[in-house]
Amino acid sequence: MSVTPLKTVGHPTQRIDAVKRVTGTATYTGDIQVPGMLYARVLRSPHAHARIRKIDTSKAQALPGVKAILTRENCDIVWSSGDTRNKRYLFNNPVRFAGDAVAAIAATDRHIAEEAMRQIEVDYEVLPFVLDPEHALKSDAFAIQPGGNLSPNAKGQHEPDIFRHGDIDRGLTTADRVFEDHYTSVHINNAQLEMRVSIAQWDGDKLTVYASTQGISNCRTDIAKDLQMPLEKVRVVCQFMGGGFGNKNQCHDFDLMAAMLSKSAGLPVKLEFTRKEDYVAVHGRWPTKQYYKIGVAKDGTLTGIQLRGYSGMGPYRKGAGGIAGVELYQCPNVETTIYPVYTNMAVSANLRGPAYPQGIFGIESLMDHIAYELKIDPLEFRLKNMTRKYHDELPFTSNGLEDCIRRGADAFEWKKRWHAAGVGAGPVKRGAGMAMGAFGSAVGRSSAVVKLDGSGKYHLHVGVTDVGTAAKTTMGLIAAEELGVPLEKIEVISGDTALCPYSVGESGSRTTTHTGYAVVQAAKDLKRQIAEKGLPQGSEVLTASVNADPAQPKDAARYSFAAHFAEVEVDTETGHVRVIKYVAAHDSGRIINPLTCASQVKGGATMGIGMALHEELLYDRQTGVPLTAGYYGARVMTHRDTPDVEVLFVETEDAYGPFGAKSIGESTIVPSVAAVGNAIFNAIGRRVKDLPITRDKVLGVLA
Amino acid sequence: MKTFTNANPKDIREAITLLSRGNASIVGGGSDLLGMVKERLMSPDVLVNLKSIRGLDKVETQSGKMKIGGLITLDALSHDAQIRKNYAVLAEAAESVGTPQIRNAGTLAGNVCQRPWCWYYRNGFPCLKNGGDKCFSASGENQLHAIFGGGPSYIVHPSDTAPALVALDAEFHVSGPSGDRVIPAGQFFQLPRVDAARENVLAPDDVLVAITLPAARPGVRSTYHKVLDREAWTHAVVSVAMVLEMDKQICRSARIVLGGVAPIPWRLPRVEAMLAGQRITPELAAKAGEAAIVGARPLAKNKYKVPLTQNVVKRTLLSLA
Repeated sequence: MSVTPLKTVGHPTQRIDAVKRVTGTATYTGDIQVPGMLYARVLRSPHAHARIRKIDTSKAQALPGVKAILTRENCDIVWSSGDTRNKRYLFNNPVRFAGDAVAAIAATDRHIAEEAMRQIEVDYEVLPFVLDPEHALKSDAFAIQPGGNLSPNAKGQHEPDIFRHGDIDRGLTTADRVFEDHYTSVHINNAQLEMRVSIAQWDGDKLTVYASTQGISNCRTDIAKDLQMPLEKVRVVCQFMGGGFGNKNQCHDFDLMAAMLSKSAGLPVKLEFTRKEDYVAVHGRWPTKQYYKIGVAKDGTLTGIQLRGYSGMGPYRKGAGGIAGVELYQCPNVETTIYPVYTNMAVSANLRGPAYPQGIFGIESLMDHIAYELKIDPLEFRLKNMTRKYHDELPFTSNGLEDCIRRGADAFEWKKRWHAAGVGAGPVKRGAGMAMGAFGSAVGRSSAVVKLDGSGKYHLHVGVTDVGTAAKTTMGLIAAEELGVPLEKIEVISGDTALCPYSVGESGSRTTTHTGYAVVQAAKDLKRQIAEKGLPQGSEVLTASVNADPAQPKDAARYSFAAHFAEVEVDTETGHVRVIKYVAAHDSGRIINPLTCASQVKGGATMGIGMALHEELLYDRQTGVPLTAGYYGARVMTHRDTPDVEVLFVETEDAYGPFGAKSIGESTIVPSVAAVGNAIFNAIGRRVKDLPITRDKVLGVLA
Repeated sequence: MKTFTNANPKDIREAITLLSRGNASIVGGGSDLLGMVKERLMSPDVLVNLKSIRGLDKVETQSGKMKIGGLITLDALSHDAQIRKNYAVLAEAAESVGTPQIRNAGTLAGNVCQRPWCWYYRNGFPCLKNGGDKCFSASGENQLHAIFGGGPSYIVHPSDTAPALVALDAEFHVSGPSGDRVIPAGQFFQLPRVDAARENVLAPDDVLVAITLPAARPGVRSTYHKVLDREAWTHAVVSVAMVLEMDKQICRSARIVLGGVAPIPWRLPRVEAMLAGQRITPELAAKAGEAAIVGARPLAKNKYKVPLTQNVVKRTLLSLA
């Protein structure tokens, strides 16, 4: 499979803002200084769960330089995107996790704000807390939210999310063998480089927020909604941002706090987080416990897959809480039952491929194990059982999964590297593993404006912020291709709701497919106008403005696919694991920019390796307080941990999206954790079933 | 961060006078101290900046001995040709610290006197190190904690250079209000059962000015082996500093000191005695590994450190044979 080459799209292209970013001339939100600006800090609960009896801010208020203090007593704003089930206020009582906001302070400098934070006296009544999602469902567990700890579904029912296909009982009873096992994953943080910061400035009844956001449009809509303002009175600006990986969607409580502090003080306010706050007070990936039963026929054909899973959502329901991956397999009988549960840990919500890497770790570890038990090459086992129809029913608009597996295996030299598990001689053993992945690649609503002025310059207005994916460049390339002009002729204007139309927001790996599609449509419209009216002269400007809302594929599912291959070295005397070779094969349809697309794959694989081997926000079980917040403690990947990731693209033809592009950003982390885990099994012949696969666990299974 | 003033003393005496006035901290590289001040783990009124004193970062040879200024950066230490040649264990230990940025700023004395990296201490729990009366790791998350010498605090000493210096039988030159004194490396560090709030014998107004290494001897081989939880920027899970005096294939004497396993650099006299006069064979190395863990008392979550220590001692010994 391959796609017809195009002129501009599909060639490795340097980011249009690369020089600005690497020379320090790009203005990130934290760099912005507004005259007269105050600095704000947030006081947070030291307790995992507590009722606030009393807050006394009088001493803090009296400090010279303190201009505004917000607590629940003078601010009862509900942060609607912070919890989709219950009312989550900017300041909650009870506080439900160590890090829940108690007060926000604005002062003339940072030191005064911090000193004021220390002068606020809070009288807490400490309440029982629970960290483990399964324990939280027991009858004696203290209810964290009204209605109990099983978070309600969208209909408000306190029931687990159940998916059924076929007849699971039949699938398991008719199997020749049934494999039963459980896997767990932990809370990890998005760990994006840029910490939280928000600057709010009022001009009469108009509010400008300089945010660090993945979506200026969503952020704006949310702020307007929560502050009960007309949309046109709110402007959100974010022209350079330093990563989010899913935890900078929508608006955040600190955007609203900055706005309210600023309103109260009558001066602009910059609210900043420390790295530790960033780790505990926004959100990370939900920890899971996964219990599987899988039935197989003697020849390795799947007959039934059953999953019962628990996702720890923290005390507020900000994320979906799914455990994905079962759908990668073709199986007539499937039942998944997922319990999204409230706990007193940090909030869990989107982190690159939200429900996938942990779910894939579970299902792909067990499938690998079944292949081992049945003495089938795990690669052949996948080729036999991989999905060919979504949930066994819907065809895919394009499906390059088999090609990813076959071509990835060739590049990796699977036959040479994979061997019988645990047979290597000597204390340092090598092993190879692989895993499959998929991620939805929907099409949908977004907008773009393209203008052509009399000088022959094109101006593309798109509401992207470019979270690090090179979205500005991607949008420019798509416009250049459709307009038939070089990229240099196009100025990309982004990251400001005053200058840009609606964009979907850089979440769900949707920017290229949604906003990119709108760019194509706008460029087509502009070409039509040029054909009709001729090129603009002098001060004339031609403007094409498109709100695209393409029809969803009819009776088909649209997915990106991937297969990752890892080779590891495991030192059985020290438990040390090193990834020494890595191949990532991806079907993301047509690749718009192979350079930045490959960077996405490398970044995703790197994050996945960290999640597999060492990352964790570890909690103290005695107090419910996190111990490893930050890059040092959470063991985020360093350059020295990162292998050379070999990337290959299987470019399938797809009838949807801009030039047939599917999505990339999130699919890149999906198979990586499981691939590393399976490689470790292949090396040592023992399986660690609880993430992260740290030295103590490796030595534990070897003992 | 609490506000503080910065003082630039011209000499050590002035530094000591400033420190004697109370609630002052020495700042060398500042790579850890400033973070601790920000986190309010320390709230000094005065930072006494030793970088204002000339010559504290020098390496010089005095009657065969090597004298190293406490203010030498870890990076300079690890690249010093003489140290690399004659005291490899120290160069390798310095090279294993943190990240290039930390090694560029961090100093030898700062590394030796570094406060623990126990996550309870660093997160401000009211533990023994923070003025409280409890060690939270004892019944808590003690994956990285002590298997030797623990109680009532179970921290592990965080320094990489400290085990190397004890293995080299270094001398620590300390200046204080009552004058200068020389402390053998092995007596510089202090178990929590002596004083659970501190890791060494320094008083708040003492300065670790320099460290002397014994004269280089022919036949000495040394190395530092550090096990990290990722490839860079963690403290040692377990480390071994080993100095062997070899006569052809025979080990005349050995000094072996562990890092990451005890509240102080943990010397292994029993293993050292076992090796003296012996040819280092795989069998002897295996026995040395077994002897290394005699007396280990792991906590609930750090049992893995026992076989890890055994294997790392065995392997390090073989690497020098």
